[in-house]
Amino acid sequence: MKRELGMASALAVICLVLFISNTDVLGQSNAVNQLRMISMLGIYAIGSGFVIITGGIDLSVGSIVGLTGVIIARISSQSMGGGGHSMALGVVVALAVTLLVGLCQGLLITRLNLQPFIVTLAGMLMIRGISQTIVDGGTISLGTSMIKLANGGLIMHGGDPLLPYPLLIFLAVIAAGSYVLHGTVFGRYLYAIGGNRDAAAYSGIPVKRIETSTYVISAGLAGVAGVCYAAYIGQMSQQVGVAYELYAIAAVVLGGCSLRGGEGTILGIVIGSAMMKVIDNGINMFQIRYQDADGIPRLWRLNTNWTFIIVGSVILIAVVLDQVVHVVQEKRRIRATESAASPSAPAASAPPA
Amino acid sequence: MTEQEVSAASAPLLEMRGIGKRFAGVTALRDVSLTARAGEVLALMGENGAGKSTLMKILGGIQPPDGGEIRIDGRPVVLDGVRAAKRLGISLIHQELMLAPNLDIAANIFLGNEGARGPLGPLPRAAMNRAAVGLLARVGLPVAPTVLVGKLTVGQMQMVEIARALSTNARILIMDEPTASLSAAESEKLFEVIRKLRADGVGIIYISHRMEEVQLLADRVTVLRDGRWAGDLPRAEATSDKIVALMVGRELSGAYFPDKAGRSPGEVILDVNDLVVPGAPTGVSFAARRGEILGFAGLVGAGRTELMQSIFGVTPARAGTMTLEGRPFAPRSPREAIARGVYLAPEDRKHHGLVLPMSITENTTLPNLAAYTRWGRLDGGAEQRTAEAEVKRMATRTPSVRQKVVNLSGGNQQKVVLGKWLAMSPKVLILDEPTRGIDVGARAEIYRHIAALAAGGIVVLVVSSDMEEVIGLCDRVLVMRERRPMGVLERDGISQARIGALMTGSAGREVAA
Repeated sequence: MKRELGMASALAVICLVLFISNTDVLGQSNAVNQLRMISMLGIYAIGSGFVIITGGIDLSVGSIVGLTGVIIARISSQSMGGGGHSMALGVVVALAVTLLVGLCQGLLITRLNLQPFIVTLAGMLMIRGISQTIVDGGTISLGTSMIKLANGGLIMHGGDPLLPYPLLIFLAVIAAGSYVLHGTVFGRYLYAIGGNRDAAAYSGIPVKRIETSTYVISAGLAGVAGVCYAAYIGQMSQQVGVAYELYAIAAVVLGGCSLRGGEGTILGIVIGSAMMKVIDNGINMFQIRYQDADGIPRLWRLNTNWTFIIVGSVILIAVVLDQVVHVVQEKRRIRATESAASPSAPAASAPPA
Repeated sequence: MTEQEVSAASAPLLEMRGIGKRFAGVTALRDVSLTARAGEVLALMGENGAGKSTLMKILGGIQPPDGGEIRIDGRPVVLDGVRAAKRLGISLIHQELMLAPNLDIAANIFLGNEGARGPLGPLPRAAMNRAAVGLLARVGLPVAPTVLVGKLTVGQMQMVEIARALSTNARILIMDEPTASLSAAESEKLFEVIRKLRADGVGIIYISHRMEEVQLLADRVTVLRDGRWAGDLPRAEATSDKIVALMVGRELSGAYFPDKAGRSPGEVILDVNDLVVPGAPTGVSFAARRGEILGFAGLVGAGRTELMQSIFGVTPARAGTMTLEGRPFAPRSPREAIARGVYLAPEDRKHHGLVLPMSITENTTLPNLAAYTRWGRLDGGAEQRTAEAEVKRMATRTPSVRQKVVNLSGGNQQKVVLGKWLAMSPKVLILDEPTRGIDVGARAEIYRHIAALAAGGIVVLVVSSDMEEVIGLCDRVLVMRERRPMGVLERDGISQARIGALMTGSAGREVAA
């Protein structure tokens, strides 16, 4: 919980600095759009979190996000290349396909003892290729038929919703994810498997079945996010969702999950996702007012070419700080046990009576 | 002779005096002394956890000692780091071979010692290969130095390790269980090489559990027990009886072990018939009764852990049958065994028994988590009550049940493992090395708990390499050797001598009833 608190404080500070530098950050259009972006990332980041907490990794997430939209466009689009069927059919088929993809990857990993990295890397490439084949290297337009899903929502204000649907979906995923991960037997098993796979098996936990299910969850949530992206973007090509899996992993790690498994919370992943998008947005919004030599007020802005440098640095700083805290705590713990153990040592080594 | 030569001739090659070593809260070595002479094989023996490996790691420069003195040729030395030890002619061959299978023999022999001019200088392949040929001849391995190490047999790899040690002009060669994974023929070859090195004046420290090898090779035996020096035996006196007596040593005291005269085992609960464990030459049969503590004795590698893993469903048996309370019992996974009330507290607590980063509560309820749910939601209160009850029953010393088990001592960790199974009312409880790495005080406590369990009608199977424990605790003892059952000793017939004889095979081949 301490780690989440630290990340949340850091996030709050960044937001505050951004707001002071540019009050437009909290303007309705930017704020609502940011909530939407955070939500869409957060949905599939939580899915990745399930996999990472059990000690696995899912690299196929970004491709699945793309595939979802492409399938919906292929089935439901009214324009060229589309099948013209109902939107609901497209969404249902797309989500079914994502679950199937997740199940296949999970079974390959657990039943054949393959490395998750390799299986999902192959999945990432194959799914990307399937998307490309479906759109035949081009673009299928969804038009505006789904735009309401991305833009609409509850509590409208000035024509824009204050709670866009992706945010509502995200809140539902957070609620369900928190319950499953922190409140159920299944969730506890995920931590046990990530913490010590062998001990979990020796405790009679169906390790393989549970690991498989995490890949299904990850792919399924990527599918849900994919539906949101499809609605938001409207033009489906094979480029949608490229490298999203890396954003998800970054958000999960920023949020305090260990890639070794066994650690992490939904709250942390939510904060990590928010962090990623706020930094992204902040690079565009951050400005410093100053007066040049002639006394004319000017604005200094960050060069947007620096985006990846800054995002990369933030991730690196977060893990370095985390490791430093870890080492310090470990040292303190050893010192504590030694001072506790030394007075009793002579008694323990005395011959039994 | 110059003065220096005189002192070198009279002083032993290596002397370790009063060596001590503590790890966070645990004393691994206390006032241990050891002497090794040039041209001599010194066997270092002791139970698991007796401190052999720690002592050798200190000698190899891997860990610094907390106190004591090390002399080589009579001169005090400081072994700070592997390189310092190597410079002084000390070479350590680990039980798990430290070779790169993707490199060839010559590259492995000279790894880190290639003789190139700087890290970017050209690799002197020709010189390395020439030198390797000479070294390989010395260890009797007629293979070209350009062969990949990955293609060699384990025995040949061992020879490469020895050649590597010789390449640094090792004068003291430490071998940790070198025959653990060798065939009989390969071992024989290894012994030849060891004898040759001894004749060349190398001092060899040989760590082994195998009594026959020690008697075959050793000029002297040093025994460690519980991190202390237990005794030295010259070759003539090093009988297996005497070595075992030094290894287990402590006087058997009545108060240390709970009284077993009061126990009277009831009907057969677990009946094992000709169970063939994968990799075992023959089947094992035994019947365990209600309220009985059945011991399994044998040397390391005698197949006891594997037998228990088959009973627990980790590695299902290849043949044979089992019945539990008269009904067929053939678990194919731990899950199936647990469902029938058969639980295992494994030998390797940290890898198989506990999820270290989790709390006592979480570990206690893990195998039976479904019982702590209400409408699908985990009931933290119920979990905590169970964990607290088990902590109280086992007298686990911890500030709270929310403590992560990684922060507990070995003895308290073992109590958490026992508590986790006791919370599920076991029928059969398998304890594999229940007191390994646990100090003497906590042991007595664990013995009392085990006796109380048996008195409560549970079948307890105890695998132990601690002879005293087997004798003091068990109603009957099944002795195994080389994955075969050698015999069953009944309560009055359990003695150190008889177990030792069956364990080492010096009593002929009896077959279990």
